[in-house]
Amino acid sequence: MSSANSAFYKKDLLPVATFAVVLLTMPFWFKFIGGYSGLDTKIVIWIIFAIGFGILLGYMGFLSFGHAAFFGTSAYFTGLMLLHFSANILPAMVVGIISGIIMAFIIGFLTLKRTGIYFSILTLAFGEMLHSMVLSTLQDYTGGDNGLTGLPTPMLFGLKMQGDNVFYLTVIVAIVMYYIARRIIRSPFGLMLKAIKSNQVRLEYTGVNVARYKLLGFVISAVYASVAGSLMIVYEPYVASEFLSWHLSGHIVIMTVLGGVGTLFGPMLGAAFMLYFENVLSVTMGEQWLLILGAVFMLTVIFLPGGFVEGGSKIKKKLMGGDE
Amino acid sequence: MVNSIFLQLLTGLQLGALYVLISLGLALIFGTLGVVNFAHGAMFMVAAYLGVVISQAEWGGWGVAIVLVPIILFALGLLMERGLIRFFYARPHTDQILVTFGLAIVLQETFKWYFGANNLPFATPDWGSGIMRLHDYLPFLEGFVAYPKWRLILTAVSLITVAGLFALLQFTTFGLVVRAGMRDSEMLRLLGVNISRRFAIVFALGVGIAGIAGVFGGPVTQVDPGIGMVFLVPSFLVVVIGGMGSLPGAVLASFLIGLAISFTATIPALANIIVYLIAIIILLFRPRGLMGQKGVME
Repeated sequence: MSSANSAFYKKDLLPVATFAVVLLTMPFWFKFIGGYSGLDTKIVIWIIFAIGFGILLGYMGFLSFGHAAFFGTSAYFTGLMLLHFSANILPAMVVGIISGIIMAFIIGFLTLKRTGIYFSILTLAFGEMLHSMVLSTLQDYTGGDNGLTGLPTPMLFGLKMQGDNVFYLTVIVAIVMYYIARRIIRSPFGLMLKAIKSNQVRLEYTGVNVARYKLLGFVISAVYASVAGSLMIVYEPYVASEFLSWHLSGHIVIMTVLGGVGTLFGPMLGAAFMLYFENVLSVTMGEQWLLILGAVFMLTVIFLPGGFVEGGSKIKKKLMGGDE
Repeated sequence: MVNSIFLQLLTGLQLGALYVLISLGLALIFGTLGVVNFAHGAMFMVAAYLGVVISQAEWGGWGVAIVLVPIILFALGLLMERGLIRFFYARPHTDQILVTFGLAIVLQETFKWYFGANNLPFATPDWGSGIMRLHDYLPFLEGFVAYPKWRLILTAVSLITVAGLFALLQFTTFGLVVRAGMRDSEMLRLLGVNISRRFAIVFALGVGIAGIAGVFGGPVTQVDPGIGMVFLVPSFLVVVIGGMGSLPGAVLASFLIGLAISFTATIPALANIIVYLIAIIILLFRPRGLMGQKGVME
């Protein structure tokens, strides 16, 4: 291994190890802050989703309002496989994730042709198209409004995928995907994504095939969404039609922006924050939680575009006594 | 045969008329200010609720609602532009989308909190209720053909609104400046024209048209907190199909998808996705939209 490579290695070791330790010990400390077992699994699933969304929005600069399409497509195909093929999660997850990726190629091809505004509008529209197809056109296969019910208990080679088993499976996947994301961001490809964000036109003039990089960046973020969608069904074997609705797409947008775009840590923090507070606050104030969330989100966009991460670094700067 | 085709045509036009009313403001705001207003659907929702409340209030009534709702929405638009949107002109498009999306959530949740999540009944006024016996006026129809009066009124209002907006933009000095601003706002600024004030009015105008849509469209749609989002998606598609920033395009696309939905209504599986299919076809074969100008937002 060359020295440059081992330097990379060291760079990743500490953050990934910290990430792994925090997640793996979650069952022990999470209950002390009012969490319950099950919520921790859900948080980790959303963290995976948020990592991928953070790559697309934070690094490539494209705001998708239709990521439910990949989460949901993968969830539906995972569910259909569990229902009709085998209770083993391996083929179910593989088919689910591949279906999400194919959907990403189709939607990406249609929506990435023009500017970012087009992209936001059209991803929302195509996401809603899938939602309405599941509710009506395809309801014989998808169960329409009721979703896919009656799924068997997911198995992994004789191991029942329930409770802790699902949690540790999810955590292992999350650690691997976090590591991959770090490598992507630092790779030449990651640099291309950042170049697309800062000036797409100029990049094109240097002879780079921007369309190909955009599509690839989009598909990568959809892989994360698909993995999350598939894991959601392993966690809770029921496919809700809600998984394809704009509410879910909006959720991931809000999380990512609240946490802080342009970093990998921000979206993960946002996901954890939102799920935690959703569960704690919605108990005490019910539906009004969403009103608070919307207001907090607006204020963040207006005053703190970098989210919690920017807020944190601002506070740090103040405490350190303005070193710049 | 003649009857059923005529009725489908009429339903398509009426549906298109509603889409026009909702998407015209969106297209106007996008075309002039370059802002994609994700809260535009929420504006329609607010207008529909105001319509219900004012038309049923003791001090109000339908006549008051028709006058007052668009004016309130116009004022709301002015407030929104001066208080929020104008700070976002210099920021990235994603920030504009995010902040209007946040506003949409806040409005939706506020109305859900106050009025509940259920559909509010929105009764049409006496003079607009009941049916119109179309065969009395149109001799080519066979036998008895009737159509709900309110839907015909809605179509007429929509056409009048379109005509009014085009007249305003085409025949007044204000319209001339706005149209010039759509072409090249930097140049206009260099010439010493205060376009930011006019842009505020344009924004308010767009929201005001959503007010007309809410008060006239409310009785034929639902009035619930989620209705804004339901109509936001098709209005986006209207703007994409018609061509970003083109008002005639938005009108044409509205009627096109209205007719497409109406003529496929007998096959529900198709009717639900026909709008998206049209959008896909347009994106593949004419990415700038039906009447989009070359180079605009490409």
